[in-house]
Parts: sequence; C-alpha cells; structure tokens
Amino acid sequence: MTLGYTLASRPRLHSPQKRMQPICNQNTPADEMTDDTNPNDFESGLKPLWLRAQSGDDAAYREALRRIATRLRGYLRRRMLNLPDEVEDLVQESLLAVHLQRGTYDPTLPVSAWVIAIARHKLVDLWRRRGRREALHDVLDDVDEHALVAHQQDGQASRDLDKLLQDLPSVQRQAILLTKVEGLSIAEAAAQTGASESAIKVQVHRGLKRLAALVKG
Amino acid sequence: MRTDALIDMLAQGAGPAPHAVAARRLAPAICLSLFMSSALALLMIGPLPSAMFTTPAPWIKLAYSLTLAVAAAVLTARLSRPVARLAAPRTAVVAVLVAMGLVGGASLWATPADERAAAVLGLTWFLCPWMVMAVALPALAATLWAVRGLAPTHLRGAGFAAGLLAGALGAVGYSLACPEASAAFVAVWYTAGIGLTALIGAALGPRVLRW
Repeated sequence: MTLGYTLASRPRLHSPQKRMQPICNQNTPADEMTDDTNPNDFESGLKPLWLRAQSGDDAAYREALRRIATRLRGYLRRRMLNLPDEVEDLVQESLLAVHLQRGTYDPTLPVSAWVIAIARHKLVDLWRRRGRREALHDVLDDVDEHALVAHQQDGQASRDLDKLLQDLPSVQRQAILLTKVEGLSIAEAAAQTGASESAIKVQVHRGLKRLAALVKG
Repeated sequence: MRTDALIDMLAQGAGPAPHAVAARRLAPAICLSLFMSSALALLMIGPLPSAMFTTPAPWIKLAYSLTLAVAAAVLTARLSRPVARLAAPRTAVVAVLVAMGLVGGASLWATPADERAAAVLGLTWFLCPWMVMAVALPALAATLWAVRGLAPTHLRGAGFAAGLLAGALGAVGYSLACPEASAAFVAVWYTAGIGLTALIGAALGPRVLRW
C-alpha cells in the first residue's frame, strides 16, 4: 500500500458532499480579506468550534483547523513577502504545533491570539534559523491589503507527506497510518497491531512530534 | 503536502485535548527538584542538628522558599503557554519577596545596633548564595526540561521563571543544611541565590527553550 494512494482517495475521512458545504469553503480571496479586516468576526466564529474541538468533536476540530490555516496563511504571507515559497511550509509547521500544544490553550483567552502567538513564535524561529534577525524589525504590517488577495490559494507545501512519514520509525508510522490516515479507532488499531491502546496513543503523539521536527527541516 | 491533507490527518481521531498539561509536566519536575536539592545539600554540608528545628530559623527559610516556589510555579506554568495572563502570579512573587524583606527588616530592627552587621552577614554570607545556586542547578535542568515540552513564546521570561522556581526549590533543600539563624540573613542571601538561579535561567531560556 502506498500512502500517496490512500491520501489521494481518503475514503474514510469525509464525504465529497461535506467538502462542498460553504462553511468549509474558506479558501477564497474574499473570505481571507473578511478574516483580515474583521478579526472579531473571525474569533467569534472560531471560538465555539474550537471549544467543541477541545472537548473531542473531530469534525469541529477539522473545520477549526481549516479556518486557522486560512488565517495563518494571511498572517504569515504578509510577514514573509521575501519568502513566498515557504509560507505554506510554515503554515503547516504552525498547524502541527497548534495540534501538539492544544492542551496549552486557556479557554479564558481568544483562540486567535493563542494561534497567532504560536505562528509568530514559529516565524521568529524561522528567521533565527536563517540568521536573519534583522528581519524582525522589518515586519510589514502596513502592506496594501489588496496585494494579498491576488495570491493563489494553493495550500501546497514543498515537502511531501509520504516522504516525511517514511522517515518516521516504523512503529510511529504504522500508528499514524492506521489511526490518522486509514481512520481506524485507537481500539481497532490496537487490535490490529497487538499493541495496547495507550501504546498506540503514545506512538501517534511521538510520531506527530517527530513529523513536526521533520517539517521544520 | 497539501495543507488540507495535513488538517484531515490531524483531526482524524484527534479526540479531546489533553487536560492540565502544564501541571502534569511541572509536578514531576518539582518533586524531582525537591528531592535532588535536598539530597545535594545534605550530602555536601550535612543535616542541621535536630535542636535547630526547635528554633524558628529553619522554618522561616522553609516557609519563605516554599511560598516563593508556589508563586514561581504558577508564573512558570503561565509562561509555558503561548499567550499568558501574568499579573496575578507576578504580583504573588513580588509579594513574597516584599514580605520576606519586611520580616528581615523587622528582625533587624529588633536587633541591637552593634549586632546588626553580624546578623545580616552571619558566618556564611559569602557561601550562601552560591550554595543555594549550586543545589538548585539540577532543579534548573528539571524545570527547563518541563517548560521546554510545553509552548513558551517569551523564552527569556519563561527561562527566568523556571530559574526562579528552581532557585526557590534549591533554597528549600539548602534550608535543611544551612546553620544561619537570622531572618535578615535569609532575606538578603537566600534571595540573592534564588535571583542568581533565575538569571541563569533567563540567560539559558532563548537557547534551550526553543520548540
């Protein structure tokens, strides 16, 4: 089985109809501009979704992550005008960080502030790795907003998930493939591999952590 | 990799978010720190004679360092999150420091003028801050490790808080071995040792707390 095929078909993840729902269709320029010009609308839409996601609603979590991704893409694009090819990489790195650190969210604070703080941390880290501290003083908050909407919303990063997964230790890769790609429950994955449920959970978490490190490059 | 595919993968079977992550990570680090700093102090200097524990001196030190550790632990937990509410724990830390300063000042005021210098300096003032810092170093490694696994975004501040916590835990251990009797001594030199550890934490933070 190749992962590429599994990811492309994604039979268990969601039905095609679901993807057509307008609520999921956040990737249009008009929507991004709305998000950028009305941060309060963004927060009031995201917060209830996020709270449901935090208490275990996977569908709400998926939708919240979509909205967050759109938001972060706009945020990072404006600050990475000279690194446009790496915006999507950093969006994905930030999403992985959001997922791995979702336990540190404090419900009394805005979700958007929490998410942006994570993305900003990742952006500063990227600049540091590039040895470009001076870029910190070069944040372009006053860029013409119309310049943003002209960009393609490709949502495609340079790294390949299949290849990244191949670099994981086999136990972690298997745990992620079974539970996160094929969509088995923890109990089903445990039954199939003979590992305990808590072992599967640990391997998934470690695998995603390793994946985050690999995405960082 | 398409971002949509990544999102689907993350959301698939994600379940509820883990609870109390900061507490679950800091608690074992704090327990380990208390054990290591006490063990180090007892091994390096040896325990106080038990008669000392009938005097207030060791209890003042323990009360000071433990309350400071509690305030610093809350501050550290808050700074381990991407967005932090810091006002309350910061006030608590300052309040503990001020309270100890007042207790030290009062004890000095009650001391005859010609004995005040001796009360502040004791016999070990040149040693105390360094000993507090030394027995706090394993604690510093533990608290920094705990914070590193969370999500601090102000790395210098988070390093400072982790150092403050480690210094207070080191002072708890050192209290078990320190022969000094005056509250003024504690207010000056313990605070200096804890502050040194906090500064080391702040210096290390930007390098070791990256995630």
